[in-house]
Amino acid sequence: MSPSPSSLSRRTFLAATGAVGAAALAACSDLTPGASSAEKSSSGPVSTAVPADKITLVVADADDTTMTPGLIAAFRAKHPNITVKRQYTGWDDYLKSINTTMSADSAPDIAQFTSGMQNLVPGRLLLKVGAYGKAYGWAEKFPGLDQITLTPDGKTVGTGDLYGVGAGLSFEGVYYNKAKARKLGLTVPPATLEDLEALFAKAKAAGETALVAGNLDGGLNHPFNVLLSAYLTPKDREAWAFGHTSATIVLPEAEKAAETLQRWVDKGYVTPKVNGVSDNDATAAFAKGEGVFRISGNWAAAAVAKGLGEGAGYFNMPPVTAGGKVRTTGAGVYYCVSGKSKNAAAAAAFLDFAAGAEAAAITAKAGFMAPDAGAMPSQSGLLGDVQTGWQTVVKDAGLQPFIQNASSPTMGDTLTTQLQLLAGGKATPEKFLAGLQTDFENYHK
Amino acid sequence: MTTADRLTEPAPAPRTARPAKRGAGPAVRRRPRTVRSGRRRRRAVALLYLLPALLPYTLFAVLPLLHTAYLSLFDWDGVTLPSFVGVDNYRRIGTDPQLRAAAWHAGALILFFSVLPICVGLVSAAIVSRRAGRRGTALVRTVLFLPQVIPLVAVGILWRWVYGEDGTLNQALRTVGLGGLTDAWLGSFTWALPAVGLIGTWVVSGLCMVLFLSGTQRIDQEIYEAARMDGAGPVREFTAITVPLLRPEFAIALSITVIAALSSFDLIYITTGGGPGNSTVVPGILIYRLAFGGGAVGVASALAIVLTVVISLAVLVINRLSREAP
Repeated sequence: MSPSPSSLSRRTFLAATGAVGAAALAACSDLTPGASSAEKSSSGPVSTAVPADKITLVVADADDTTMTPGLIAAFRAKHPNITVKRQYTGWDDYLKSINTTMSADSAPDIAQFTSGMQNLVPGRLLLKVGAYGKAYGWAEKFPGLDQITLTPDGKTVGTGDLYGVGAGLSFEGVYYNKAKARKLGLTVPPATLEDLEALFAKAKAAGETALVAGNLDGGLNHPFNVLLSAYLTPKDREAWAFGHTSATIVLPEAEKAAETLQRWVDKGYVTPKVNGVSDNDATAAFAKGEGVFRISGNWAAAAVAKGLGEGAGYFNMPPVTAGGKVRTTGAGVYYCVSGKSKNAAAAAAFLDFAAGAEAAAITAKAGFMAPDAGAMPSQSGLLGDVQTGWQTVVKDAGLQPFIQNASSPTMGDTLTTQLQLLAGGKATPEKFLAGLQTDFENYHK
Repeated sequence: MTTADRLTEPAPAPRTARPAKRGAGPAVRRRPRTVRSGRRRRRAVALLYLLPALLPYTLFAVLPLLHTAYLSLFDWDGVTLPSFVGVDNYRRIGTDPQLRAAAWHAGALILFFSVLPICVGLVSAAIVSRRAGRRGTALVRTVLFLPQVIPLVAVGILWRWVYGEDGTLNQALRTVGLGGLTDAWLGSFTWALPAVGLIGTWVVSGLCMVLFLSGTQRIDQEIYEAARMDGAGPVREFTAITVPLLRPEFAIALSITVIAALSSFDLIYITTGGGPGNSTVVPGILIYRLAFGGGAVGVASALAIVLTVVISLAVLVINRLSREAP
């Protein structure tokens, strides 16, 4: 080909590329959201009257139980003028896409709030619902509202403005296989952590997997969280999980928790090659009859009960010293309202509905603890045991936040990585905690 | 000028005059023109033909790339107001130890995504082409190519079962009496990376084979016949004729597989998520974590741009090398 057309086309091409590039860069300021949002809050006059006109509410959630759909159906039945649409996303995808979802013009009215969404607060994409809270009296109706109270920069939990409510609560404890425990002569529940470890040793000596776990996706965070609950003082635990300035997890008590977990792995109490097993597979294996104990949350109760039937048992994680207060780790399914919602009053009515007696039955059936604990229908078998365990936790005020939930948006990934290193013998307890602390400081600098 | 006028222009190639397809061309065509303006018009027509491809490509590839480059200059969590930080994000990339690990792993994956599949593809192509027409060859070819048509996410889930503690691989090992060698492969600090890499080998080998197979069909059979007359066996034919003459296919295979290795994400995300520890972390995983989990869109964008540049350079080098005479 002769050079002239070729150079011409190249020139045209370059010019076109340049023009397109310039146009793109000019458009970029519009492509970075956050620039145009105005602060929204319900500080104006609010009322608890449910709007009577035809309204559509969109609820985004990642709750893979029957709770959210159940609440939606019951709410719709009560308020036929309000159409509620559910926008469900699987847990991992929900976490990764929620920032974008909430920034969009078509943001859902209500969204399940979870860790990693703190940026929405300074982004002014969440409605401050404090005024509705006062009008409805949420402080008396919902336990644990401090877990969804955030400072204006979104980095510290427990102080600042209220951004939602915790509807169904979850908490962690110890499941066990009754038949095997009987056969091995294990006395449950153990009075102390030490006694629990002695039971593990007995089970291991009998050739059983003492503690069924899966750490391919970081499932060892369940035993680690409850060990931290037992060892660490609530003050230190909350300071760290809630992201208080200059809080640290590099503490002797936290080191004891990490040491204990590593020892359980080293002594062969935990599922062998735990880093290659996923948390869901661990629950499935336990429900099929593998192993003797499993530390997990009440969300696993339904699966365990289905698998082991009458043979499934539950007790709360024992304290360090006999007779001590019961402390464990848990969180709620929190619902918050979008700052872009045009139907804030209706959305607030939905939040309030979640605290009622009618909702309690739905919440309890889904395996969660209802805010109105007294209205929960009594259940038999394993679910009944779990519910009884919950009463003790509430009595001892022992519910503490997951450490990966509040401290930084990346803590979930970091904790998984560090737990794999700890379980694989690639990190000492000190190095493990230092790794977590680095992530914390990168965010709270 | 209207679109219809342009479309009646003759196609740029072949250059020889062609009778107009439609009866009488519009008056405009008979107007005397300089050679240069004619060429310019043909260029314009060529561009017009390219438009249906160029438009979506610009919209969905070029513009997002430019946008990413723009975002890489900001400290942005994806929600709040971004603040301009210049090349700071690029500096951060240079000092991140996790990133160094990710770069090493991507390098190691080239062995599994490129070198091994090309070797396997070459040998299987040689065998299949010599057996062309015989019974079962088509079946073998289909089976080898099959992994290429399965979505990578499905491949990942499939292999999680294979590599599991009670998976197919361990069962096979126990059956042949090698139960002592079993492991939870994806959870092992030593074996997770090779295990994930071998999935890549399994996926890409079929593609390489098909590429080489079409290449061998291009080679003149007379060359082989001549070689056979000179007493060359199958191995000699393979090393002296097939391999050197497949140079263009090598370049294509190497380009595709190196891109796959360096930009790998889905397979690793599904099988190990980067673990255990950081032992299978690759740049793609880090970009995803930073942008969607960690609220560090700027750093993620910078990393994405660096990765794009590295891949482009790699492909450029491969193509340069392949063009040199043997």
